[in-house]
Amino acid sequence: MKRIIILLLPVFFSCAEKKQEIIVLPEEQVQVDLSAIGKAKLSEYGFFTGDMKMLTPAEGVVPYTLNAPLFSDYAFKKRFVKIPKDKTVAYHADDVFNFPEGTILIKNFYYPADFNKPEENIRLLETRLLINEAGTWKALPYTWNDEQTEAYLDVAGKTIPVSWKQDDGQIRQVNYSVPNMNQCKGCHLRGDKVTPIGPVARQLNGDYPFAEVKQNQLLYWQSHGLLDGLPDIGQVSRLASYEDQCVQVNERARAWLEINCAHCHRADGPAKNSGLHLLASETNPSRLGIGKAPIAAGKGSGGLSFGIVPGKPDQSILQFRIESTHPGIMMPELGRSVIHDEGVALVRQWITEMK
Amino acid sequence: MKFVAPLSAFVLLFSCSVEKPEPRVWQSMEQSLQTQLITIQDGDTLELPEGNFMFTRSLVLDGKNSVVIRGKGMDKTVLSFKNQAEGAEGLRISNGNNIVLEDFSVEDAKGDNVKVSEVRGITFRRIRSVWSEGPRTENGAYALYPVLCKQVMIEECIAAGSSDAGIYVGQSDSVIIRNNKAYWNVAGIESENSRWVEIYDNEAYDNTGGILIFDLPGLTQYGHSTKVYRNHVHNNNHKNFAAKGNIVASIPPGTGFMILATNTLELTENKIMDNKTVGVGVISYELVAALNEGEVEQTSNIGGVQTLDNNFKKDTLYNPFPYRIKIYNNEYSNSHWFPALGHDIGKLFAMKSFMHPPDVVYDGISDPERPDRQICVTEKEGVLVMVLDAAHDFEGLTKDATALACKDQ
Repeated sequence: MKRIIILLLPVFFSCAEKKQEIIVLPEEQVQVDLSAIGKAKLSEYGFFTGDMKMLTPAEGVVPYTLNAPLFSDYAFKKRFVKIPKDKTVAYHADDVFNFPEGTILIKNFYYPADFNKPEENIRLLETRLLINEAGTWKALPYTWNDEQTEAYLDVAGKTIPVSWKQDDGQIRQVNYSVPNMNQCKGCHLRGDKVTPIGPVARQLNGDYPFAEVKQNQLLYWQSHGLLDGLPDIGQVSRLASYEDQCVQVNERARAWLEINCAHCHRADGPAKNSGLHLLASETNPSRLGIGKAPIAAGKGSGGLSFGIVPGKPDQSILQFRIESTHPGIMMPELGRSVIHDEGVALVRQWITEMK
Repeated sequence: MKFVAPLSAFVLLFSCSVEKPEPRVWQSMEQSLQTQLITIQDGDTLELPEGNFMFTRSLVLDGKNSVVIRGKGMDKTVLSFKNQAEGAEGLRISNGNNIVLEDFSVEDAKGDNVKVSEVRGITFRRIRSVWSEGPRTENGAYALYPVLCKQVMIEECIAAGSSDAGIYVGQSDSVIIRNNKAYWNVAGIESENSRWVEIYDNEAYDNTGGILIFDLPGLTQYGHSTKVYRNHVHNNNHKNFAAKGNIVASIPPGTGFMILATNTLELTENKIMDNKTVGVGVISYELVAALNEGEVEQTSNIGGVQTLDNNFKKDTLYNPFPYRIKIYNNEYSNSHWFPALGHDIGKLFAMKSFMHPPDVVYDGISDPERPDRQICVTEKEGVLVMVLDAAHDFEGLTKDATALACKDQ
């Protein structure tokens, strides 16, 4: 009898540990007609000349960059704007420029196989377009094929496994997430209107190595007849590059928070219900999260009481959420699956030094 | 000894077939459903098929008008987000007008199950929104979560397992919440910073707190005008499993109703039973701030943090004191002798009202701006009404029900 009991014991334990298994059957692929939404192929727009994957801009397509770009799982980005011939962009001092109807913003996401050789062995994943149609912006995601010859309109989003060698030689990998069309809007909504995020004066106020000359982008746009109303360049505000070690931590951290958070966390953004506003221009400490209790964070509070506790990043909900990869906790909610190590270190330093 | 081997083999077989649950088979319609949510035309109805469907990402509907999403019944069409790897909610609906969700279930999202923001006209009808493993801190915050909406109808729904509130309406106007069941949540039903709200004929039980009407500072709007009637709010004694920092984390287990810093509210004809700590609490944000104070002091000695206290006082549009509150003609019973003793408030009640937890409690903190606050409690004889005098270390605490009797009721 003893042996039976001994045999029973492990059996009991091994069975009790078993959780209900989840089996998911594969989805049937259905072809859907998306012609009412947008062009099926990226090549139909004619943005690029020659081999499309080289992203060589066609005439009238102007490359640009931002001082402080959004973190997207370490993806590289090449941005272009196509402004209709003979039309101009109207300058705005602190909001998105007024782009003429027909403008298309083109943002390409890619990974070089080795980050130390950023021009070689490039794998393009997606190209997102913002198209200004009759005064309203439309967001369209295109995903590239494995052959890198074409990108196709893909409204439902998808997940693509990617790996690369980081600057430090480490091999990293992520499940890169292409947003669905509505998720594009989730970040680009202001009130109930889709709006570009990047092309504001303070983001464009910096140099770009154009084919002919390295020049301040705003001055380049102006001299090429693309931009109206630019004041003296010395009066244009400038967002810090958060990677620029020469700039003060406060400015760098605020720039990082603006581009990664403030598209929602602003008075007219989708996260206005939280009462947390993170534009670099915000001056109210409580709005910035300092000593502010969470509103609807749920487990996103991490058991902490305040958005920011000066001097104490580990007691600050903001730090906790940017260091999380849990979909129900992490901030921003979309657009990354790994932590931006350099970014969170910067915010950590900012909070640590905060008085 | 010969029998041992076959016998144990038999036991092994038998015990395992009992213990191991059947694998649950899920279908997938992730790409096609998300595509439909994008291509659906205004005025259309999207019929969800019968079946159990698993998702790995949020489903998002945006900017549509007069769209119905209808399942085959809350037991027949189940959308599970158990395998979710991306997105902060299960089903997300934003902008647009007149959206109806009915007759399906949403389960196990990593964040909120169903979040609806900035929609004018949103109906949840016979939606079951739950975390299937029961109450756990790891569960999402809200099961049904309309925020910044207008014309909200939530009826005949089931909300369970939320680590914050089961049915949570935030910063919204013109809201009806009726005939729902909420259990195993920290808060069963919560209306926050909302205006013109009616909450009636609901059953809230086995939550930490049954029904909460809150107003918090620093937000887009402040609440008022709420009617709460004919609800059955009972046995809300579940341990509080909210993540600390959230306001509901300070709700003591055993709370029936909690009315915080709002105004113009009527609470009547509710059945309030066996909530062990308090039937109805009426408190000001001052008290919440005071309860948080210990912690603030700890953090403030390094670098002089702005306290929660200071923050809400800076918001000049916010009134931390409840006023114009009418509580009358409710039915109370409590078979518990002791409130939640793990909580400061519970200890206070146990001390001040031994073996008889109060039915109605008002913190009694006075508002210098408004001496007559019109906190009117008119209940049957025998209902224990307590005024705490919380601002003066409970020195003037009274159990005299006439203290809150208003003349013109």
